[in-house]
Amino acid sequence: MGEVIFWVIWALVAVSAMVVAFSKNLVYSVFSLLATFIGVAGIYIFLNADFLAVTQIVIYVGGILVLLVFGIMLTNRIVVAKITQSSLQRTTGLVVVGAIFLVLVLTLLNQTWPLATSAAEFDSTVNNIGELLFGDYLILFEVASVLLLGALIGAATLARKEL
Amino acid sequence: MDLTQLALSLKYFIPEMVLTGFIVVAILYDLFLKPETSHRVGFVAIAGLVVTLGMLYQQQGIPATGIFANMFALDGFATFFKWVVAIGAALAIWMSLDTKELENRRVGEYHILILILVLGMFLLVSATHIISIYLSLEMVSIMSYLLAGYLKENSRSNEASVKYVIYGAFSSGIMLYGLSLLYGLTGTGYISEIQAQLVLGQVSPVMLVLVTVLLLAGFGYKISAVPFHFWTPDVYEGAPTPITAFLSVAPKAAGFAVLIRFFNVALSQGDPNTPSWLALPGLDWPMIIAVLSAITMTVGNVLAIQQNNIKRLLAYSSIAHAGYMLMGVVVADQTGIAAILYYAGVYMLMNLGAFFVAIQIKNIYNTETIADYAGLGFKAPWIGIAMAVFLFALTGLPPTAGFVAKFYLFRALVQFGDGFLWLAMFGLLNGVVSLFYYMRILKAMYFDKMEIPEKLTAVPLHFNVLMFILVVPLLVGWMFGDPLSIWAAEAVQFFF
Repeated sequence: MGEVIFWVIWALVAVSAMVVAFSKNLVYSVFSLLATFIGVAGIYIFLNADFLAVTQIVIYVGGILVLLVFGIMLTNRIVVAKITQSSLQRTTGLVVVGAIFLVLVLTLLNQTWPLATSAAEFDSTVNNIGELLFGDYLILFEVASVLLLGALIGAATLARKEL
Repeated sequence: MDLTQLALSLKYFIPEMVLTGFIVVAILYDLFLKPETSHRVGFVAIAGLVVTLGMLYQQQGIPATGIFANMFALDGFATFFKWVVAIGAALAIWMSLDTKELENRRVGEYHILILILVLGMFLLVSATHIISIYLSLEMVSIMSYLLAGYLKENSRSNEASVKYVIYGAFSSGIMLYGLSLLYGLTGTGYISEIQAQLVLGQVSPVMLVLVTVLLLAGFGYKISAVPFHFWTPDVYEGAPTPITAFLSVAPKAAGFAVLIRFFNVALSQGDPNTPSWLALPGLDWPMIIAVLSAITMTVGNVLAIQQNNIKRLLAYSSIAHAGYMLMGVVVADQTGIAAILYYAGVYMLMNLGAFFVAIQIKNIYNTETIADYAGLGFKAPWIGIAMAVFLFALTGLPPTAGFVAKFYLFRALVQFGDGFLWLAMFGLLNGVVSLFYYMRILKAMYFDKMEIPEKLTAVPLHFNVLMFILVVPLLVGWMFGDPLSIWAAEAVQFFF
């Protein structure tokens, strides 16, 4: 049963991601992005990463995607605008991308990956993440705050009217 | 993790904390200033950098140590690059104070963003965990995007910023994929523990090569190595010139620092502080870097020949210089890394200098085209002489420090043995090509006939002082026992 659900989610992510990339209508792209994000959250749940799954939904679906939808709805005539994805040098691109894909698949299959020793009980990861964030990774938490401060200042600078 | 343990690390983190303090002070001070006086934030920024350098000086003699649960390292290697970055930033802010491009606009945020960029580079050069590497790399990148697009009404500047963002997002995404593979393979984020896992030999060589190439996309983008260089000319042309000057030296040096640290620690075997250190078996990354180096310097030099805009020309020349510095990474032993450190220091002065001349000529004559430089050698003699020194140094001609810097790089490569002699030959040939286009600027300045354009403004006195500060070390710095090279040799010391 679990396996079936996994493959359903997997297909959902793959198909919706392709729609995002290949759709000629921006609105279709944005709404299939919704399916991609939710599918990825499902994969996180399969990995027992409950906190990550919730974060994925709250931040990507709840925040970023809504922002994107608003951006599109509020922009004049963007729905009618045709996006071109006709790319130049298709053959060369296909060869290069195909080669990279082949190497990736072959190496991923041939590599023996270190596996987690116990795949047993579900245990909430929230406590561990909290302890790590305010323990080993405390400094990175603080650095991220300076980074966000800089991004905020920069965004305000770019957005304000005067020079 | 014991919190007292983390608190003990704070005493090794004073320069960064002082810098953060000055960032906050600068933000608050900016609130009280009108647009016309907002350049005063620059004085706070320079003061902050000077105090930070003082704090760095006070860290001398501390043995290499990991801080904050080994997320960052305090070692001679990181400290050297912090000096380069902080001095470069102070000089770039100085250049910004009287630049026409930044006139009549609020520049408070400009200086604040530079300070945050410096903090990001301080962290980047000392990062020893894949998350701290990635976070500080993004900090550097995002601040660079914002600064490149600071001239909002200028479509070139907009283009620079957008191109920078798109290339940057793409290459850091690729690098992130590589890091995630590495984490999956080794189960640890600490680069020294990654080495411990990889030397066990359970990872297939193809996989290692793949990971290396993915990582090089991120690091190569920061140092603008071919084939990740496409953003460089457009960004350098569109960004405000002091920012171009700064981006061409400081983030590049920081990118080299993280590249060297990562490759020498994670993708090697043995302690990088000892001569018995070797690249990982099955992963011939010195050869990958050697090929990258040869291509990078050739592409940079050949494409520079046909440039007519001084900023674009210097952009391609900076690509070529990344190629020269990669020669040192190929050797990656004590002499090779010391040569890169020395080169980074000298390159900071000579490249900032060349851009500074471009800023001055833009200020005085409002042109960036090399053909318009005709006769400037006589019209503005001091600028002409200074430009000659910078260009001689960039070419690597004696009697400038640029020659000594190139000499150390080639010496490291030749001493290493016959394996990379071909690369040294490549480097020499490239030097000849670069001579051609650097001298083209000098030819325009001294030998081309022209009708002399009107001076738009006089050169402010403090700019002459700055020019002096940039020229003199290049001319005499390598004499008197060459203190920089002694320092560079001592600074090759990694936390492991």
